[in-house]
Amino acid sequence: MTFHLHITGLVQGVGFRPFVWQLARVMELTGTVSNGPDGVHVYLNADADTARQFKLRILAEAPELARIQSIKINPTTPRLYPDFSIIHSQSGGQASLLLTPDLALCDTCRTELTESVNRRFNYAFTTCTHCGPRYSISHALPYDRPATTMADFALCATCKAEYQDPANRRYYAQTNSCPDCAVTMSLYDQAGQCVSADQTTIIEQAVAQIKTGHTVAVKGIGGYLLLCDAANPDAIAQLRRRKHRPTKPLAVMYPSAEAIRQDCSCQNDELNWLRGQASPIVLLDKLAKPASELAWEALAPALGQLGVLLPYAPLLALLARQFGRPLVATSGNISGSPIAYTDEQAIGQLPAVADYILTHNRAIMVPQDDSVVRLSRVYRQPIMIRRSRGFAPTFLREPGSGTANVLALGASLKSTFAWQLRGNTYVSQYLGDLESYDTQTNFRATLHHFLRLFDARPDWLVADQHDGYFSTQLARELATGWGIPLTRVQHHEAHLAAVLAENDVLTSPDPVLGIIWDGTGYGTDGQIWGGEFMSYQDGVVDRVTHFDYFPALLGDKMPREPRLSALSLAYEMPGADTLLRQKFTHAEWTLYHKLLTAHRLSTSSVGRLFDAVAALVGLVDRVSYEGEAALLLEEQAGRYVRQYGFQAARSYLPVSWTGPTIPTRAIIGGVMTDVLAGKPTAAIAARFHATLVATVSAVARREGVHQLAFSGGVFQNALLVDWIRHDLDAAYQLYFHRQLSPNDECISFGQLIRSTRQSDQ
Amino acid sequence: MPKLDFDVITLGHGSGGTLTHKLLEAGVFDLLKNPLLDTHHDGAILDLTGKTAFTTDSYVISPPFFPGGTIGELAVNGTVNDLAMCGAIPRYLSLSFILEEGLTMSEFWAVLVSIKTAADQAGVQIVTGDTKVVERGKGDRIFINTAGIGMLHPKADISVGRVQPGDKLIVSGNIATHGMAIMSVREGLEFETSLQSDTAPLNHTVRTLLDEFGPAIHLLRDPTRGGVATVLNEIARDRNVGPTRIGIDIQQASLPVLEEVAGACELLGLDPLYVANEGVFLAIVAADVAERFVGRLQTLPYGESAAVIGRVTTEHPGQVVLTSRIGGRRVVSMLVGEQLPRIC
Ligand SMILES: [Fe+3]
Ligand SMILES: [Mg+2]
Ligand SMILES: [Zn+2]
Ligand SMILES: [Zn+2]
Repeated sequence: MTFHLHITGLVQGVGFRPFVWQLARVMELTGTVSNGPDGVHVYLNADADTARQFKLRILAEAPELARIQSIKINPTTPRLYPDFSIIHSQSGGQASLLLTPDLALCDTCRTELTESVNRRFNYAFTTCTHCGPRYSISHALPYDRPATTMADFALCATCKAEYQDPANRRYYAQTNSCPDCAVTMSLYDQAGQCVSADQTTIIEQAVAQIKTGHTVAVKGIGGYLLLCDAANPDAIAQLRRRKHRPTKPLAVMYPSAEAIRQDCSCQNDELNWLRGQASPIVLLDKLAKPASELAWEALAPALGQLGVLLPYAPLLALLARQFGRPLVATSGNISGSPIAYTDEQAIGQLPAVADYILTHNRAIMVPQDDSVVRLSRVYRQPIMIRRSRGFAPTFLREPGSGTANVLALGASLKSTFAWQLRGNTYVSQYLGDLESYDTQTNFRATLHHFLRLFDARPDWLVADQHDGYFSTQLARELATGWGIPLTRVQHHEAHLAAVLAENDVLTSPDPVLGIIWDGTGYGTDGQIWGGEFMSYQDGVVDRVTHFDYFPALLGDKMPREPRLSALSLAYEMPGADTLLRQKFTHAEWTLYHKLLTAHRLSTSSVGRLFDAVAALVGLVDRVSYEGEAALLLEEQAGRYVRQYGFQAARSYLPVSWTGPTIPTRAIIGGVMTDVLAGKPTAAIAARFHATLVATVSAVARREGVHQLAFSGGVFQNALLVDWIRHDLDAAYQLYFHRQLSPNDECISFGQLIRSTRQSDQ
Repeated sequence: MPKLDFDVITLGHGSGGTLTHKLLEAGVFDLLKNPLLDTHHDGAILDLTGKTAFTTDSYVISPPFFPGGTIGELAVNGTVNDLAMCGAIPRYLSLSFILEEGLTMSEFWAVLVSIKTAADQAGVQIVTGDTKVVERGKGDRIFINTAGIGMLHPKADISVGRVQPGDKLIVSGNIATHGMAIMSVREGLEFETSLQSDTAPLNHTVRTLLDEFGPAIHLLRDPTRGGVATVLNEIARDRNVGPTRIGIDIQQASLPVLEEVAGACELLGLDPLYVANEGVFLAIVAADVAERFVGRLQTLPYGESAAVIGRVTTEHPGQVVLTSRIGGRRVVSMLVGEQLPRIC
């Protein structure tokens, strides 16, 4: 008999066909395996029992990187195969496969890199079917060498033999190359002069520059990275000046896991992330006495955590090994712009931030930043801070979870887009702050790249209700151009829909309470929301309560200056003068008081509440990066909790408190009393966290729900997540984001879900 | 101020009867005296030949007296400047008042005097007009409408269609001064500053430039309400169709802004690009004359701070893009309703 197996999911570019080929050989079966645009197809001569066995073994033994969504097995027109063979890709037809994200350097390739007898010893672009770039070098589907930027490189005879041998680890590895058919590097100086193209010494030369305190921009996987000596405060200070980034933490690339553990607490789950196929930046706790003499205060001012990564590409591994010590590794861009990824951008922009540029001739098609993940300290809850290289654009959902073809364009500051297409869902990488022209250009380009890849257009578009967002304006423009409808989804409803869909509870018969806390979202009443409690049942969302409104002042100046949030919340309360007066000039003080009495716009933002508390306790009056105030407050509260435990901190609201809305000013009043009484900052920060958790349990109790879902940028706070789990795990089913970030990166996906759910009804 | 037997405007002053007559005789006609107005006809008879520009604008400003000017000066200069922006030489204005009952005669007189001074300075005649009085609470002390007529400069060829890629964008003076001066005295918002409105008639300056640069001047606009950002977006939007679609690039470092204005903008979280101007114009000129144009402008009245601030490009049609002092590029968009915070 002849059977046809159709396998869908993440099954291309991960060594799936050689795996099937080897399995067929072991089971002594004949037939073929091929990649189609809709998945992998296998034809098999076997009896029904053996065919079923074959299917089960595929499920059980599939390559580590593969994610099978479905396998269908059916008898088909009988045909006799002489052996088992792999048939090369055919393009044509409609592509519908999940795109494969870029894969970090695998252990085998990493080892080969260090073996002097290996023919890829020190070869900066070694890959195999288990590792290497995928999404970032693809310009067509299905994934195949001619459809990548490797198309220009001809394989040498040895590489070609590997490529054609199903028993080889590099069988059909589209990115295969070696020193004989190499991707080649060049080193440029600031003036754009090529100072070296000698492949055997170029790494040494680049590292020599880093050792003398210079910054070198290196073309990585998703774009250029800036590297400098993490132990050299002058080099870091210069990099910060050039990037106009005074205090935002910088990530550090360590040569090895052992080296990380000399400086940071790195548990096994964290190490698994660091070494996994995505290899993101992971935020780790700095040890009390780190072994390396890094410029800690320059790297992450006032914070106890450090963003750490391991070299995820062979080129980075060689640089890290040659340097032997930790390197600052941050995106190569000029302030506010997206990461540079073309050589033209590198030559044009990077001399402003780097002294040398180490580039190579394998082009990047799709720029991506390094992803960022953190784990909560107690409950080990992973929190995605930035989802990009290694994760995007794959998004795994239950098969058949949506049939409509919908494109959602997300929010603004942490922009992404999401596309549901032919039963699959894609969520783009983090695309940055859309206020920047270059980010807008990149957003458009990435979107058009998708449209080209899939050769498709959506049936409808979804956007936020904020008219000022570029994403909303673009959605309008596209909807008009394509003649398709545009639906709008309220910001916090999108947050809620995203976390519910990720946890597969959209169709739960029981009500869910959504706790949606962030900085800014446009509300249906024209006010700025951000401290929302929303019930969800049968697709119906209801805003059950929220933090009491307080004046929203001075547009985007308010989130940049936490002192303004403090003033807005505290100005009518006793002690405001004592605590706040010295933060303002005379002109500011009188003018802002007038504005406060005449304000037109209000907000319920918990993000601004964090800002207010951070300013009141004296941590920060003006931030230089988004989220700075909240991070500083979390850091302080964490110190308290590590010493005294969660129970020691009492809420600022009475235990018996049940009010219609959350009394924002009463919370601030409590904070002010403590500050005036001279209580330690860490204790106040902890009480503030305890208060937030108490509001959740009070509202949950009042609403009589058993399921709670959390979304919004506030839940990037790992301490808050731990605290919620500590207090509420026992009594409630808690849902947090899994694959996506709780920040606005999840908005596009939530919009998509919300708009398709609405259309189902 | 003439001697009158009333010192407050009442409803009767707008009724067309004796009180009206008294008001006009004692104030308006005498002060604004010129042969055409002196006929006291229902309308002015004008003898015009050649291409003629015609414009109108209404002036409502709170407060009507502000540092550096009055609503009266705005009403003359605004309409004069609108004519100048068409490439015309302003000649005649009409003048209509809507007064709120209770306006004091001395305030009204002060407005009239400022109108007279501004008209003389601009070299225009007020040839017809009207006065109405509304009940207390139905106006805001004083509203003015002016219409203006001017003769097109023979060398002028000004239209948004003439803007070409590569053209340079020039601003004639410091931006945002007027808006911040007004804001500093706005009720409930007063803050201390020595800022003065920049209201001024630009027609003489523009006329000299037209004499010397003629058709090399492709476009002139006065960035009043909505500021430079709004005008530039209008230009980019108007030219986002047709064979040559254009956008505009501006350099933050080149924008002339008084230090005190910049400080006031920072105080209020405002972008000077969106703040109103009165005595400032934008010119888009052929690239090869730009440097000379700015050099000459700097020698003319109200032009000493003139600067090239940007250029016309095909790179991003329909959009205005600002390169910041630190090198980032930001889209300067049209304001959408109220300014909402965007940062999450
Ligand atoms: Fe949000
Ligand atoms: Mg006007
Ligand atoms: Zn490998
Ligand atoms: Zn080779």
